[in-house]
Amino acid sequence: MRTQNATAYRFLTPYLLIFAIFWIWPIISSFLISFQATRTVPWRFAPTFNWGRLIGDPAFYNALKNTLLILVIQVPVMISLAIVMAVLLNSPLLKARGLYRFAFFAPVVVGEVAYSAVFRLMFSLDFGIINKLLNSVGLTKIDWFSNVTPAMALIMIAVTWRWAGYNAIIILAGLQSIPEDVYEAATLDRVSRVKQFFYITLPLLKPVIVFCAVLSIIGTMQLFTEPFLITERGGPGGGTETLGLLLYRQGFRSLNFGYASAVAYTMAGLAIAITLVQLWLTREPK
Amino acid sequence: MAAVTLTNVVKRFGVFEVVHGANIDIADGEFVVFVGPSGCGKSTLLRMIAGLEDISGGDIAIGGKVMNDVEAADRGIAMVFQSYALYPHMTVEQNLSFGLRMNGNPKADTERRVKRAAEILRIDELMQRRPKQLSGGQRQRVAIGRAIVREPQVFLFDEPLSNLDAELRVQMRVEISRLHKELGVTMIYVTHDQTEAMTLADRIVVLKAGNVEQIGAPLDLYDDPANRFVAGFIGSPKMNFLKANVVETSNSAAIIELVNHGGARLRKPLSNAFPAVGAEVVLGVRPEHFFEAGEGDCDIPVKADVAEHLGSVSYVYANAGPEELIVEREASRQRASGDHFTVSIKAERSLLFDKAGARIR
Repeated sequence: MRTQNATAYRFLTPYLLIFAIFWIWPIISSFLISFQATRTVPWRFAPTFNWGRLIGDPAFYNALKNTLLILVIQVPVMISLAIVMAVLLNSPLLKARGLYRFAFFAPVVVGEVAYSAVFRLMFSLDFGIINKLLNSVGLTKIDWFSNVTPAMALIMIAVTWRWAGYNAIIILAGLQSIPEDVYEAATLDRVSRVKQFFYITLPLLKPVIVFCAVLSIIGTMQLFTEPFLITERGGPGGGTETLGLLLYRQGFRSLNFGYASAVAYTMAGLAIAITLVQLWLTREPK
Repeated sequence: MAAVTLTNVVKRFGVFEVVHGANIDIADGEFVVFVGPSGCGKSTLLRMIAGLEDISGGDIAIGGKVMNDVEAADRGIAMVFQSYALYPHMTVEQNLSFGLRMNGNPKADTERRVKRAAEILRIDELMQRRPKQLSGGQRQRVAIGRAIVREPQVFLFDEPLSNLDAELRVQMRVEISRLHKELGVTMIYVTHDQTEAMTLADRIVVLKAGNVEQIGAPLDLYDDPANRFVAGFIGSPKMNFLKANVVETSNSAAIIELVNHGGARLRKPLSNAFPAVGAEVVLGVRPEHFFEAGEGDCDIPVKADVAEHLGSVSYVYANAGPEELIVEREASRQRASGDHFTVSIKAERSLLFDKAGARIR
């Protein structure tokens, strides 16, 4: 058995080496970097330099507030929408189901730059279709890019558009794994469709919904593309800057790797903490 | 309690007809088993009675009222599913009471019904468990309990024991039989297992390819099957079928020659139909109806291939030309593999079928 294991590990060595160099080491290294002052030459060990700055940095709190705001509003809306979409997709009355499934999933495979450009055009103040539609129903135009609230709303709309279908497909798989005869038993018990949804479907979908929520929380904590490309680097005036964007700005524009690493670890820590709280809140009773 | 009447019931899926005009009368309080091979339409028929499938033609009446357009929940039936269909996220107690709670049934009445069902099925101690914490037999009890709390006029069982192991199946069979006696309600039970059908039913409905082949009491079907299909389906091990030709007929009998057994001849008394000389027929003999050499009307030499010893009896799978016969032997007359021996057929203990499978009496 030991010889067999040794042979297996010899074959695994190339992978393990690559994994250690490009995966494990950067994780350890970035953690160590977060305890160094990296804007001096050479870098010096200063345990409280970056973490101390983080605690008192208004830019960090602004990014944290924006990220959490998106998390608290967008994720529940998107998951609810995804559940509705999944239920509609699962309906036996729906024709051309494959087409809808593709349409819902398509945003995920569209290039980020392309979709961001399209969103910028659609929400443009003067010639965007959204403002034209608002105008046509008698509402005033909205300057989506110059005011913080519309800009945040735009980010949430874009992220929801992009990921709701993806989550809907995962939830659809969960829906299809619920045996039909459970619903038949409920029908014989004179339980209405609406009650079946709330008392059978939703509880049985809970593990899948929690899975989608965890993925979405992690994704939102890392949110970068939309505020970078659609609202132009977290504009207006940092109003849509997220932790991901702050990390980028510190690490790759100010080349302050130590502080960027501290932000990165804060993001990861928050994602883990929120996920753990959520898993605890939605745990199965013993 | 209620009688169930099926009149010319037809079921089509698109252009494909799966039930071809079934006519079945089930008396109030009767235990009727629908039995047949996979795809014969027995579950479809049950689901039509339940209201889970639309009826393409004919009428289904429960308690004298035609139910074709009545919602499943309003038919006064309860169904036990093959997969139990328990709500996995609910405790046993919640599973039992779910339907009643959702319909605003008074709490005291719900508790009374749940308690009664739990007592009948002896699941009182399992009430706070979830389905995944139960064994197969316990889940089945809960599924039956959920049906009991509805206090239905008719119980429908869709292959309820097929997911259980052999021992548990026997145990649950007895429980269901006891339950029928205790509740005294009409029960319709679907199975592909003829042993279940024989042991449980007051009457059996044998189905094949969407047609009702025969309806009757278990022993009537066993002793007096209407055709070769019923003869072969009812009884375990199966009836043996021996190819034969009619060589002579008279006003009261036909003399047949067993094709694969060296021209052995048997005089088979008949009362109604007389096949033509030369007609191909099939002689049916149950394994326990092979007698010792010389005891019957026609002897056949065979060679034991495999012997299954079950204690009180053994089943010998014997080769006789191209036909394999299953012969039941008493323990004292066991045969070992490779033994040559002779079996004897009695005319009155055999059945005659024409080439198409219809019984010749």
